[in-house]
Amino acid sequence: MSSRLVTFELLWDLLTNGSIHVTLSTGQSMADPILELEKVTVRRGMGVVLQDFSLQIKSGECVILHGENGAGKSTILETAARLLPMESGAVSHHGSLVCDAQGRRLNPDSPFGLTLQSNCLVGSQTVDQHLTNVMALCAKSIDLKPILSAFKIANRRNDKIAHLSGGQQRKVAVIAGLIPAMVESQPRLVLLDEPDSGLDDSAIKVLIQFIHELRNIGHCFMIATHDSRLFECGTSLNDLTSEKTQEITNSDRWTMEAKPNSVSLLKTKIGWKYNSSTLVSIQRNWLAALLVMGGLLSIVDPLTLSDETVILMGFTLAPAFTLGLVGDAVFKILNEQRAIDWWRAQHNLVPNSYIESFISGIILTGISSQIFIQSVDYRIIIIGGLIAFATTACVRFLQLSTIRLARTNAVFIRLLTPILILPWGIIVDYCAKL
Amino acid sequence: MRVKSGDMCLIAGFSGLMLTLYLAFNWAPSVDINAFQSPEAQRIFYWHVPAAWAAFIAFGVLFVGSALWFFKRSPLGWKLHIAGSEAGLACGLMAVWSGCVWGAAEWGTPWDWEDFRLNTFGLLTLLALFLVLGRQSQPDGVESRDTFSTFGLYGFVLVPITYIATRIWVIRHPGPVIAGDENSSISGDMALVLMIGALSFTVLIIGHIMTSIEITKFEQRIDRLQKELDGE
Repeated sequence: MSSRLVTFELLWDLLTNGSIHVTLSTGQSMADPILELEKVTVRRGMGVVLQDFSLQIKSGECVILHGENGAGKSTILETAARLLPMESGAVSHHGSLVCDAQGRRLNPDSPFGLTLQSNCLVGSQTVDQHLTNVMALCAKSIDLKPILSAFKIANRRNDKIAHLSGGQQRKVAVIAGLIPAMVESQPRLVLLDEPDSGLDDSAIKVLIQFIHELRNIGHCFMIATHDSRLFECGTSLNDLTSEKTQEITNSDRWTMEAKPNSVSLLKTKIGWKYNSSTLVSIQRNWLAALLVMGGLLSIVDPLTLSDETVILMGFTLAPAFTLGLVGDAVFKILNEQRAIDWWRAQHNLVPNSYIESFISGIILTGISSQIFIQSVDYRIIIIGGLIAFATTACVRFLQLSTIRLARTNAVFIRLLTPILILPWGIIVDYCAKL
Repeated sequence: MRVKSGDMCLIAGFSGLMLTLYLAFNWAPSVDINAFQSPEAQRIFYWHVPAAWAAFIAFGVLFVGSALWFFKRSPLGWKLHIAGSEAGLACGLMAVWSGCVWGAAEWGTPWDWEDFRLNTFGLLTLLALFLVLGRQSQPDGVESRDTFSTFGLYGFVLVPITYIATRIWVIRHPGPVIAGDENSSISGDMALVLMIGALSFTVLIIGHIMTSIEITKFEQRIDRLQKELDGE
């Protein structure tokens, strides 16, 4: 990637997260742990779920976490995936720190496989689109047909995920979790939380076989499950109080070859793909902006206000502002089935629709300029685009800041958005004088 | 029934507020009729300024409570956070509402979206509303406490900004009354009523915080007992 692109991605990171996160890179031998949880303490609700918990997983190992409901299996997995803040301790992938109790969250050196209890899918995408996105994140591609055929969903490859049954959706989520290992010959970490949930017997057999093959070429797994059939995959069985190692006789190896796939500005591209495949920004942001424009037109004839330049400029820039206030369309999509958590685990920069907001702001301001001030000034149009972009970024920042809450849709974070009216009003005044 | 010190403060503060209202409308001198568009509406000032003063105290308590929870995991910190946000909301709404009434009479508009102080103070009140409503919408846990404490910490940045806004960026809102320059001085009788109002609001806020801490303690005790009944 060129230095200019790196700078752009870092700036993007700054906009999205309020800080720049740098990926650490260190050399590592095969004997070093791929995943290391070091004296991790995690609280959920008002209770301490994990207390000084430590675990190491090396290349070629598969740890099966089992135990009663509420024992902390998912908490371990989600902590390893950088999704839960810790009271103490640290998590490392491939020998590099990825998160710790001081709140540091560093992008992992390499993508890792992740299947959470929720499927983390976007219903409006096709199976192919979703899995292609995951491969793009790994910068490699592989022929999906034999994998989909093994799970008996090859015929649903071009269907939207929302049209699949619950079990078929689970298969897609499991495949997505395995892909980072499937496309890579270097050891990769795979975290699977109850992958068997909703799968039929034949799919579980396929899953077990894939895990054996991938583990035998050096990938490592941590799997939380209640299904004893998956226990045969484990080099160790951990019930969170004690660990038992076991021998595995299966020596089949994964042989499928992957091709390299160049990646740049991936999250922006994927945000664009989410938007274009779902048209969610049209049905939410554009609709609100056009309704505001129509509402303003219904109460006033712009020709009668020709001397009121500030009011007319306010009307001109109102649709772009409204478009931004509705929020990031991609954020809304990603809230389905915890897809946003899947992305947050992989990278600090989550797909966004900043580019769409900027372009939409330009188009809407162009239309409203023609309607309200009967002229098109390119400076006003660019400012309209910037208003939409900046407002979207601010609303998204507020939404992201409440992502840890149990009921993110019930929190009243939008109450804070009226503060954006002040800078918008100042910009309107400025534009009226242009 | 045992009357607690929090209740005593609430009663004393409320009585003081009634006295402030009486003095403001019946005893305090009128302002120069040439200096204001609506001189009689200026009497709202005796309610508005003490309410804003009390809101700042409440936001200070919110900040201290948020910091204590966030950095020390102090249960008292969380109780102060709750008390501060509730008191900040109540006093903030009183200050905003009385300001809107005065603005409508004096400026001809209840709100100016381009006045820096109005907007920052409005945001502080909305922040308190967000914290109160948000807390009620979420199950109590370290996740919600951390999130709301963070907002409490960042929100406090607005307090000094709001205070100095009328010094550095005067648009419509009058300058500071307390600790302002020589132009901000007011007559003795006016200052007396204002002081009674500020003192009453302060006592009321202290009473509210003490009572709120007590209520939160009871809520947490009930929660613990419920969990014991559930066998957790």
